[in-house]
Amino acid sequence: MGSSLKSILVAIVLSIDNLSKKYGSLKAVDNLNLQVEEGSIYGLLGPNGSGKTTTLGMVLDVIRPTGGTFSWFGEGISKATKHRVGAILETPNFYPYLSARRNLEVIADNKAASHDNINKMLDLVGLGTRSHTTFKGFSLGMKQRLALAAAMLNDPEVLVLDEPTNGLDPQGIAEVRDLILRIAAQGKTIILASHLLDEVEKVCTHVAVLRTGKLVTDGPVGNIVSKAEQLLISADELQPVLTLLERLPYVTQFAQEKSNIILTLQDGYSATDLNRDMFAQGIVLSQLVARRTTLEKQFLELIKS
Amino acid sequence: MNLLRTEFRKILPYRTFWIILAIFVLLMVLILYTSSSIEVNGKSLGDETYQFPELWMRLTYVAHFFNLLLGILVIVLVTDEFSYRTLRQQVIDGLSKAEAVLSKSYVVLGLATFSTLFLLALGLYFGLIYSKDTSGSAIFSQIDYLPYYFVQAVAYMTLAILFAFFIRKSGLAIIAFIVYTKLVEPIIHYNLPDHIDKYFPMKALDSLTPMPGQDLWGQVAGTIEQLSPGIATIPAILYIGLFLLLSYLVLRFRDL
Repeated sequence: MGSSLKSILVAIVLSIDNLSKKYGSLKAVDNLNLQVEEGSIYGLLGPNGSGKTTTLGMVLDVIRPTGGTFSWFGEGISKATKHRVGAILETPNFYPYLSARRNLEVIADNKAASHDNINKMLDLVGLGTRSHTTFKGFSLGMKQRLALAAAMLNDPEVLVLDEPTNGLDPQGIAEVRDLILRIAAQGKTIILASHLLDEVEKVCTHVAVLRTGKLVTDGPVGNIVSKAEQLLISADELQPVLTLLERLPYVTQFAQEKSNIILTLQDGYSATDLNRDMFAQGIVLSQLVARRTTLEKQFLELIKS
Repeated sequence: MNLLRTEFRKILPYRTFWIILAIFVLLMVLILYTSSSIEVNGKSLGDETYQFPELWMRLTYVAHFFNLLLGILVIVLVTDEFSYRTLRQQVIDGLSKAEAVLSKSYVVLGLATFSTLFLLALGLYFGLIYSKDTSGSAIFSQIDYLPYYFVQAVAYMTLAILFAFFIRKSGLAIIAFIVYTKLVEPIIHYNLPDHIDKYFPMKALDSLTPMPGQDLWGQVAGTIEQLSPGIATIPAILYIGLFLLLSYLVLRFRDL
């Protein structure tokens, strides 16, 4: 019931049904089902070759699906739906011999967008003063930013970004992420493909994890990526410890692992709190190790199973 | 027409485009300028070349060799869209695949219009200077070779479009285009009787600009059966349609 109610209240921007793409015997995308809600920042997370770009290519009408369907705003893809979506697939694609401005003019023609927006967009991505430089003279970061300007040229409701920070230096990465968040704050829906869990965690509200073309898991980022600390404790007598852990409200979960107990705490609590409460109950721990599961480790676990 | 305007935006600042076009123009002028000194049977052709109205036939016959150059130019323009991945981006942004083919055929029409007008100017310039008879009837009686040339140029360039959309890599597409037009078809012609192969694309297109003095040559070597320019426009226009349709289908059914 919950989900049907939700679909009435929240408009679905992109719906993917059993989408598949085969290259010979290789299944690049395998019966994928996804729903992107309006206003979300939807991350497509997966290692290289997991089918992210192929999926985006199919819903953007440049790769023919082998099977399945998709719809934008509840209808089939058309010129009208394309004009509501701004997208970058893989690398920024421009005419190298044309200036930034000229390139955007060509794109504005295609999108039936007003040329008046060009200066505004160039300013927004910080290329206002470089509008007459040819594209081939741009650094990778500038190329990525020009691609963002191009994608936003006709003020689309949805932005599709494929690895937008790929190949950028830390400053460039920070700039692009900041830009994405600023755009999202205007209420736009963003679909973002990335192989970086860190990026998805920092930017996205929802995430779908892909592995070899299959959906591993999807949902709100908070449910899938946990920021909590993990603790490993041991004591001479484990039974009283287990009894106490059940009563401590800030312990979210715990499990015995051989002679150790692995547990996670709520946000805001740390090993210090646990140690104090144990000691207050007369329990002396023989070992207390706080280990923060790295995002890389979580990511590897996500795509392993 | 918006499509053509967008194509102009891409082409106007493109140096490669202007270089190939300049080569075309220079070669035509050069050949026309030096053709008066060509010797036939020890006798210089002299001003013979520039006499109205046969001038138009000679001019379009010479120009037809350079369709290859125009074809290469078109291949460069189309394959660029693949190597820069800009065609992909344009389809993402809303261009339909039919429009993608249409926009390039507008470029072809533009180029053919340019080269035909250029031949007109060239013919009038040399003709008015060197021709003995510059009466209106002499100038215009055989000027229909120019529209035939126009159809031929369009057809050559649409074949180039097809090769470019099919092969996508400029070098390979150019080689395939030249090998097909200059090698594959002539070999097929060689193995088929004239009354069949005269309808083949290259032969039908070449019939639009027949070789000057062919009637004379035919008396010596036996008649070569080929279509008259007027009749050849029909298969030529059908081929233009076919090449464009195939280009569209290639684009429609392949990933970008």
